[in-house]
Amino acid sequence: MAKTRIGASVFETEQEYALGTHFDEFFERDGVAREHYAGLVEALAEYPREEVLGRVQSINAALLQRGVTFTVYADASGIERVFPFDLIPRILRAEEWSRIERGIAQRVQALNAFLHDVYHDQRILREKRVPADLVYSCKHFCREMVGVDVPGGVYVHVSGIDLIRDERGEFLVLEDNCRTPSGISYVLENRDVLKRNFPDLFAGYAVRPVDDYPRRLLDVLRHAALQWRENPTVVVLTPGIHNSAYFEHAMLARRMGAELVEGRDLVVIDDVVYVKTTRGLQRVDVIYRRVDDDFLDPLYFIPESVLGVTGLLDAYRAGNVVLANAIGTGVADDKSVYRYVPEMIRFYLDEEPVLGVVPTFDCTDPAQRRHVVGHLADLVVKSTAASGGYGMLMGPHADAAEREEFARKIEANPREFIAQPVISLSSHPTLVDGVLAPRRVDLRPFALYGREVDVPPAALTRVALREGSLVVNSSQGGGSKDTWVLQG
Amino acid sequence: MLTRVADSLYWLGRNIERAETIARILDVNYTRAMDLYSMRDGRGEHLWRSVMRCAGFVADPQLPAGGRVAAEVIAFCGLDHENPYSLRSSIRIARTNALGIRSELTSEVWETVNALYLYAEEQEARSVLRSGPSKFLRRVRDAAHAFAGVTSETLTHGDRWSYLVVGRFFERAYMTVRMLDAVDIEREPWPEAQRLLEMCCAGEPFTQTVGHASEPRDVLEFLILHRQFPRSLHFCMRRVDEAMHAISGTPPDTFANDAERRLGRARAMLDYASIGDVLGGGLPAFGAAMREEFEALHAAISASYQPGMVGAP
Repeated sequence: MAKTRIGASVFETEQEYALGTHFDEFFERDGVAREHYAGLVEALAEYPREEVLGRVQSINAALLQRGVTFTVYADASGIERVFPFDLIPRILRAEEWSRIERGIAQRVQALNAFLHDVYHDQRILREKRVPADLVYSCKHFCREMVGVDVPGGVYVHVSGIDLIRDERGEFLVLEDNCRTPSGISYVLENRDVLKRNFPDLFAGYAVRPVDDYPRRLLDVLRHAALQWRENPTVVVLTPGIHNSAYFEHAMLARRMGAELVEGRDLVVIDDVVYVKTTRGLQRVDVIYRRVDDDFLDPLYFIPESVLGVTGLLDAYRAGNVVLANAIGTGVADDKSVYRYVPEMIRFYLDEEPVLGVVPTFDCTDPAQRRHVVGHLADLVVKSTAASGGYGMLMGPHADAAEREEFARKIEANPREFIAQPVISLSSHPTLVDGVLAPRRVDLRPFALYGREVDVPPAALTRVALREGSLVVNSSQGGGSKDTWVLQG
Repeated sequence: MLTRVADSLYWLGRNIERAETIARILDVNYTRAMDLYSMRDGRGEHLWRSVMRCAGFVADPQLPAGGRVAAEVIAFCGLDHENPYSLRSSIRIARTNALGIRSELTSEVWETVNALYLYAEEQEARSVLRSGPSKFLRRVRDAAHAFAGVTSETLTHGDRWSYLVVGRFFERAYMTVRMLDAVDIEREPWPEAQRLLEMCCAGEPFTQTVGHASEPRDVLEFLILHRQFPRSLHFCMRRVDEAMHAISGTPPDTFANDAERRLGRARAMLDYASIGDVLGGGLPAFGAAMREEFEALHAAISASYQPGMVGAP
């Protein structure tokens, strides 16, 4: 394994920065930073080490006081934690970003077309480009949505597409998030915090701003209702203060100037949605909902849900309210549908995919299942319906008992699992115990779909803070970095 | 404004005020108990029983025997997780309400409440008592004063602000009533009147306004009827009344709902009654009547921001 030192930096210590066989975002080779990181190396050298460490500590304390926190569900106390912020920004060159932008726009357009198709003519199923069984057996396929026309044909108003880099530095799509992706609040907070505390880092760079994301989101939400309401009322629907992304819901509502509501604040009368105010009922036109499908309407979905609104689905199907995202979008980001997305791009757009994907084994196919069960030590197994890093097996890091347990689960319910080779993710210098160490990162750009797909230069870089870990989710000990998209 | 938001603002105001008042009650009694009473002569018990009645909201408290009364009462009223009326619970309830309406508050207001909550959660009863509770109690009062400042100086003085004012001044008046009800002025006129003044943060204002040579009855007059002292019953009721009228837009001296009617009636009494009229039936009778009135007033205020929801507009 090659080793390197970071030259001309306040972080210069006896510790060494080990480059492996995977791609490193920062270093081209031992001791040599990539060209677009050279300005950062210079700027970092200007800050005394002790001052940097002190400021990083005060940043995390300030984030706690501001309530920039998430809740870890596995923790019975429901304790709030700061999503740890890492000082060293991740920098993306303009050319890299423009490829990402094209790739994401293309992909989201295809996913949206797929949703429209499976809930209407089902051409792609009839032509057997995607197996019909797979779609019908998907937990998130919503029969109530068949034949429903959504405003403007848009299902996925907001999505987050997770990218990783392979050994050669190529961006690959790791997974799609077409339901209620979160993380944008950290993008906005991270930039704000870094600008305030380490202004000099920005000196040599022209970085594209992120702070107009809420405005762009509001445009998309209003656009969805503009054809039938001149000045639509937009609300943000949250499950409430105990939800892990509550901070984000409150922030987006505040920045958009929209009301933040809970299910109990809304009522449906004659298929129209109203919000209960101190001066009586007021009509609602667009709901940016951060409540999952299952909890949205106790009449149709989970009857015990108190997070939703009774009659909401009827109001939606009557065309009296816009839901963003639409109901039933989970069929597009199901992990076993993932392998067919390149096919969707070809089928609906007649284009070749810009972004690659990770080879994926389908456990419902007996031959592939045998291969998966026989090679668990080399594979990542993911639960098809879960998200947030829950319910997965990292084969190389698991012990024999965990692997056996997954083998049993896969044999019992093959539809619920997919497997992929371990992609080793790129690394990035990250401040750990006062020194810079390589830690693995991914990238989540967000796409907004109004008139067309808009990919704001506001992407979240998550970093796995544990040494050698490949899991970046906040619930699994991840942190985040400010992510700079450079001006072209 | 959402009815839930109005409700949360009201409870946010009430619980911050409750936290401040309980902190003061505990601090005043803790330090007074050290000078005035030996724990062994039985009078200290009487003091702590009254503290439990106004800060712990326990009607007929059982006190532990021996010399640990002060510590146990402070732990129960100040730092208990289960007692819903404890200082700690008040801060937690205030913070939960603030969190639920995070997008309706300014960052300054939210961070003041959140910082107080994070501070209180770190405190552990044993170590607070070991180092003397005054530091902790002082910090809570300071945070409540900071809350008054940031709400006044960063929020728009519209409906949101008015609901906070309703909550704060309602709770302040109610706590004053509880304290009037819990002291025993007949048995020990001066020590009790002085304690009452301090618990209402009125020691200095009273001396500055009324002077030293006065009767315990002057203390009651000051705390019930004074027009300028910001913790007198009269002052607080006027603020609640004004804030309710600001919300409803009803002209002064008229009413749009039951809360405003009750407030107007109470104000008229306080505006024109003498202290002799007020205390005609004795302090306990006045206290009992006011407590009943406050419960009814609370119900009427809650009803005022939850208009009937039958049928579409």
